[in-house]
Amino acid sequence: MNLMQGNILLLILILWPICTSIIGYILGTRSKTARDIWADAVCLSEFAVMAGLLIRAFGGGDTLYLDIDGVCGLGIHLMADGFRCVYGTVAALMWACAAVFSREYFTQYRNRNRFYMFFLMTFGATMGVFLSADLFTAFIFFEIMSFTSFVWVAHDETEEAMSAAYTYLAVAIIGGLVTLMGLFMLYDMLGTLTLSQIPSEIEKIRNTWPKPYITEYGGAITPSRLYLVGGLTAFGFAVKAGVWPMHIWLPKAHPVAPASSSALLSGILTKSGIFGIIAITCNMFAQDIPWGRTILILGAVTMFTGALLAMFSVNLKRTLACSSMSQIGFIMTGTGMYPILSEIAKEESVMAAHGTVLHMINHSLIKLVLFMAAGVIFMNIHKLDLNEIRGYGRKKPLLKICFAIGALSISGIPFTSGYVSKTLLHEAIALGKEASIISRGMGLTGLLSVIEWVFLISGGMTLSYMLKLFIAIFVEKNTDERLQEEYDSQRPYMRTESVLSIVIPAGIMLLMGLGPNMIMGRTATLCEGFWFAGSGTADQLVIHFYSWESISGALISITIGLFLYVFVIRGTYINEGRILSVFLAEHSLFIRSDNEGRNVYVNMWPKFLDLEELIYRPLLLKILPGILGFVSALISQIMDSFIVIMRRTIHRQKATRVDTGSMDDHLAVVTGRLLDRYIPKKDKTSYIPGLVMREEQGARTQRLISSSLSFGLILVSIGLIMVLIYTLAAT
Amino acid sequence: MDQQILIVPVLLPILAGILMIIFKPKNKTYSPILIEGIVLLNSIIVWTIILTGMGRGDGATLFRLTYDLSVYFKLDGAGMVFAGLVSFLWPLATLYSFEYMEHGEHIRSFFSLYTMTYGVTLGIAMAGNLVTLYVFYEMLTLVTFPLVLHDRTREARRASRMYLYYSIGGAACAFMGLVFVLVGGTTTDFTLGGVFKNGVAGFDNNILLAMYVLAFFGFGVKAAICPVQKWLPAASVAPTPVTALLHAVAVVKSGAFAILRLTYYCYGADFLRGTWAHYLVSAFVMITIIYGSTMAVKEIHFKKRLAYSTISNVSYILLGAVMMSPLGLVAALSHLIFHAFMKICSFFAAGAVMHKANRNYVYELDGLGLKMPVTFACFAASALCLMGVPPFSGFISKWNIVQAALGEGGVLGICAVVVLLYSALMTSIYMLTVVVRAYIPPKGTDLSANEGVTDPGWKMLVPLVIFVIVFTAMGIYSRPITDSLSMIAAG
Repeated sequence: MNLMQGNILLLILILWPICTSIIGYILGTRSKTARDIWADAVCLSEFAVMAGLLIRAFGGGDTLYLDIDGVCGLGIHLMADGFRCVYGTVAALMWACAAVFSREYFTQYRNRNRFYMFFLMTFGATMGVFLSADLFTAFIFFEIMSFTSFVWVAHDETEEAMSAAYTYLAVAIIGGLVTLMGLFMLYDMLGTLTLSQIPSEIEKIRNTWPKPYITEYGGAITPSRLYLVGGLTAFGFAVKAGVWPMHIWLPKAHPVAPASSSALLSGILTKSGIFGIIAITCNMFAQDIPWGRTILILGAVTMFTGALLAMFSVNLKRTLACSSMSQIGFIMTGTGMYPILSEIAKEESVMAAHGTVLHMINHSLIKLVLFMAAGVIFMNIHKLDLNEIRGYGRKKPLLKICFAIGALSISGIPFTSGYVSKTLLHEAIALGKEASIISRGMGLTGLLSVIEWVFLISGGMTLSYMLKLFIAIFVEKNTDERLQEEYDSQRPYMRTESVLSIVIPAGIMLLMGLGPNMIMGRTATLCEGFWFAGSGTADQLVIHFYSWESISGALISITIGLFLYVFVIRGTYINEGRILSVFLAEHSLFIRSDNEGRNVYVNMWPKFLDLEELIYRPLLLKILPGILGFVSALISQIMDSFIVIMRRTIHRQKATRVDTGSMDDHLAVVTGRLLDRYIPKKDKTSYIPGLVMREEQGARTQRLISSSLSFGLILVSIGLIMVLIYTLAAT
Repeated sequence: MDQQILIVPVLLPILAGILMIIFKPKNKTYSPILIEGIVLLNSIIVWTIILTGMGRGDGATLFRLTYDLSVYFKLDGAGMVFAGLVSFLWPLATLYSFEYMEHGEHIRSFFSLYTMTYGVTLGIAMAGNLVTLYVFYEMLTLVTFPLVLHDRTREARRASRMYLYYSIGGAACAFMGLVFVLVGGTTTDFTLGGVFKNGVAGFDNNILLAMYVLAFFGFGVKAAICPVQKWLPAASVAPTPVTALLHAVAVVKSGAFAILRLTYYCYGADFLRGTWAHYLVSAFVMITIIYGSTMAVKEIHFKKRLAYSTISNVSYILLGAVMMSPLGLVAALSHLIFHAFMKICSFFAAGAVMHKANRNYVYELDGLGLKMPVTFACFAASALCLMGVPPFSGFISKWNIVQAALGEGGVLGICAVVVLLYSALMTSIYMLTVVVRAYIPPKGTDLSANEGVTDPGWKMLVPLVIFVIVFTAMGIYSRPITDSLSMIAAG
């Protein structure tokens, strides 16, 4: 029987990092340098192969497939089309950069072997997710990825790290289980989980609506059932992506994880969640407005909440984590716009597709650079609090430029890559709004207007918190002057390979932004195949990025951002003369004077709003097991109390003597005496005590057996009598 | 008369066990090689019978009670699954026991009873009719009872007494169900599809259903269904080889197997489907799953936690079974196989910890993962398998169960899915907390007590590793097993 069909290269791409992780571990027990180089080499080689595949895809090469049937139940199905090649390459690039960066970052860490092993394992699993051709394969690798990346978060083994790691694990497991249930039901409904086969099956079901579709087994599929299944399946992916209200793990896990893992967690693992959501959206709900609306609303809430939390935070990495959450919200908005546009303005849906894909790629690269910049700071001074690291980057131009590129790009400033993707997303919303006025009533139009404004405001907030970070780290002086001198004199603050691992992605980002249609446009076009599986191909997209319509949205965002930064974050700090202090007479909410009159950033992190402590933990750990535990305890007593009642009433046993020594030990004493007389022991001790003990033990056991047996036999007799009575009555 | 060979694997261990009790050897016990040899020989016989297809015939009669009521053996598909499973696990468990019991007392009686249990369990697997099944089912209670009593402590005596009460009481209920199959049906021989094709003349269907429910709970005592499950956690005072093999595989699976026989081969799935009895037993099975997994989370004794986990997992098997469809039978049998491997593996790992480090409670396990790497790696694998994480085999059986449940459709299917979801979540909590504790102890824990703890010897490690390999391999490539199970379920 032929197990495998297709190109084995795809399997190798997944297994290579997984297998080499073990080699790396063994190497690591001998030589640390060898292991580091080995990990770098593995990641770089993987990147080289993926880049090769990507170039092949750009050249119009056909899609690679690999089907392994019968394995893991439904079989593993992999493919490498345009989108998968692009994202595989992005993943490989990120892993390569993170691996190289880890060499210096981890110099003073313990358990590095463990880290590298799980680092590479997660790599393989992530490649598996991005190369999967069906939801089942995606899910398998998704689960492996969740478990192996748990070790990253727990790496420091501090209390905070462990708590974050537990949250991460719990959320990942719950998400995984819910998705699994969704997949079960989906498979039951459609009979397949292969992405390319889902649209036609769904089409069949939709055609019979509003009458429910009847499956072979006689099950009825109503619209609500389809939404339930889709929602369950998407849940686990949404959790991994950090979509509100399941974002709780994100702000906890990122700050405690080592820098290279936070970069990957936020840059690529969240994207694997997005990958799943997109796959579900465009194959199951390609033209479904209610679905799109739900995604859109969730996206908007995520986008706004993330940005708000980021403004409140004073921890560098936590701010970046919240920023990730917010950007995921932007991506979700694009994903949600896709089915809406497909339904009401088909030719424009490509806009949403392009915007989403490009923002995914941008965000991956941006977060790689920003988190590694944070890593540089942390590995030198082991601090992340804005007040403590203030002024660290003043005289470090290289770090400053890289951070600035990332910050500008994520804020969507014109001539950066982030501008391109955000403009596309904004255009998608705006077009949707226009089209909805014609085709659908005010409901959708109203919603889209609100979303558009949330989008612009969140964009502005992005700029404001990035400014807060940038100015605090790279412009302001530390309040402690000696510390500032120390910071300025620190040199060199990173090794060449670390420099390369930050500069290269920053450079790529810069290039992407400068020629939007050249690189980004072509990349996005390449990815279209993944989106339009459900609804045919779209026309070629031509966008004038620097026309007035396009740029006006960015300008609104920038204005809002500057306004927020100047008036809300800085408040009176800049305006000693109280000319502009409209919001608060004395101080800003975000910056206060401490006892010595120095201005410090205030931690505004809203602890009381922590959904985890407020709802999830009590619900999962107290209420649910509490109630069920109580019921269970009751149940477990039923049979016992029955037995006790029986024993107290109709099966009462006679009081028996239990004390040792009070029993008749005649037999033991007699035999003991005889033995003592005829075959005395060598040490002249008597046989009697031993024999007595044995006899008593035997007697006790015997009594136990006989009493239990008699009880059992009585029950048997009761049964027999009942049967007898019945037969007599029946005949 | 090559069918008579079916009697051999049942009687050989029983006779060997009896002889071992009667004749006292010079040393403290018989040589391990002899015992292992007998067990291994028996397993080889069973596997030969299965693989050569010798068992496919009319069966072998041991003796007749009356003209049409005989104790006879016959090996059909489901029986092959259970017999094959038991005979695969027994030699490995025996090997493990040699090391575990090396310092114990009453070793001779332990091994003789352990060997006798093997024969009795095979008797259940190969039983050709309900009477034979019942006879061996009762015998199983009697031979395993002294094993629970083994330590002779107060706790052990309490547990064994409870075990006896529950089992014999249950058997009495089961007996009533048996009588009705005998009277109402034309035969007690196991026939797929049942003997009550269109109800029975002279009997109200509701009476038959009531008897089914009674027998279900009667056999359910061994399968630890709520509300007759309490003996199982109590019985974990027995030595680990007993809890692992008997209370995670042989005994509880005998209960589940008996229920499968009762449901699919005596009363018949078509007869039961959609009746009130169907819904009643389904409800209790689901309650048991919830009960087992909730209590496991609350339990801090390591082995008892696993015992509660067994309660919920055996009910997974029954959840498949009560779907009353061929798909349900496949699901039940697949979980019967896979769960045996993963649970015995986790029990053996727990036993290894007790044996080498003398830790009984979950909170005492901090940091042991690094001291006993192989043991805990195996435990971690079995934990993931129990949770149903792909690519382990627990995932496959869970997949089958849910497919069966959803194929059933309606409220029952949805409830089953929700219950499984809850249980899987609890499983992850009670298993992973152990794993994480062992590998990543909370900072500041005093780990000095762990000094000098090492992995156990090869006799304990070999079975563990084999189990991990088997359940991983079955998960990665499960097609042969699921295919043959589908064939069995189709008849």
